[in-house]
Amino acid sequence: MFEIHCPYCNEKRAEIEFSYAGEAHIVRPNAKQQPVMSDEDWSRYMFIRDNIRGEHAERWWHNAGCNMFFNAIRNTVTDKFVMTYKMGSPRRTAKQIDVARETNTADKAKT
Amino acid sequence: MLFDQAVDIPEIFKSERVSVTLIEGKARYNLRVKAADVTAFKKSTGLKLPSKIGSSSLSKVVSCLKLGPDEWLVIANSTQQKKLDKVFEKASKDFICSITDISHRNIGFEVSGELAAKLINVGCPLDLSLTAFPVGKVTRTIFESAQIMLLRTGEDSFHVECWRSFAPYLRDYFKRVMTTRY
Ligand SMILES: [Zn+2]
Repeated sequence: MFEIHCPYCNEKRAEIEFSYAGEAHIVRPNAKQQPVMSDEDWSRYMFIRDNIRGEHAERWWHNAGCNMFFNAIRNTVTDKFVMTYKMGSPRRTAKQIDVARETNTADKAKT
Repeated sequence: MLFDQAVDIPEIFKSERVSVTLIEGKARYNLRVKAADVTAFKKSTGLKLPSKIGSSSLSKVVSCLKLGPDEWLVIANSTQQKKLDKVFEKASKDFICSITDISHRNIGFEVSGELAAKLINVGCPLDLSLTAFPVGKVTRTIFESAQIMLLRTGEDSFHVECWRSFAPYLRDYFKRVMTTRY
């Protein structure tokens, strides 16, 4: 078991309070796009995911807590969370992720 | 009461250092209010809705607990129900919000005594020291595999609330722990 930082509760809480909710930053087609989308477009939106090896932007749900969805950068190899951030804020850049990773390492060294 | 599931819960388990009591006669409401409306909503209803997630305003009559960014649980004495129903009826017309009467959905336990935190920690991994979880702090969390709402009402007392159908499970779990340990 490990702990995940919820950006809404602003607390680290046990993993069992959370649910994984798929890749982050997948934008739902708007009302204008929807009627003209082909089956192929729909299947890409619904089912096609990057499935990357390494640091992955994904959604998590604090369902046994504040009940909010938020985004996280998690390494799919080591299962380490680099950072979490509120829903609706932009995708984190490689540089921001680097900074967060270094801060985590520095914080860990202090304790 | 028509909802007889879980009503066979005996009122009290008592040992010298910890006791579990069924909390009866409460009216409960779940509120979802938009951030922009909160100030006006508080004025209209007269409720002391706290602004920080996990904080609460406690009183013997009406307590307001903030569970999420736009979500509150209001727990009041059942004597207040008629009055609150009226207040909320008006508010539901004035604001775009969600107000749900969940009085019968939940069952509350009071866990008190010097071992109260220890008893809860048997099924819940939260840090319940007074610094990490001070009096007045509230959160939804997990007890064993049931979702609960946990509120610290005093240094040695907690209000544990769960869905009615989960209550026998919690009761038996508390009982098992108390009979084997305390
Ligand atoms: Zn949360």
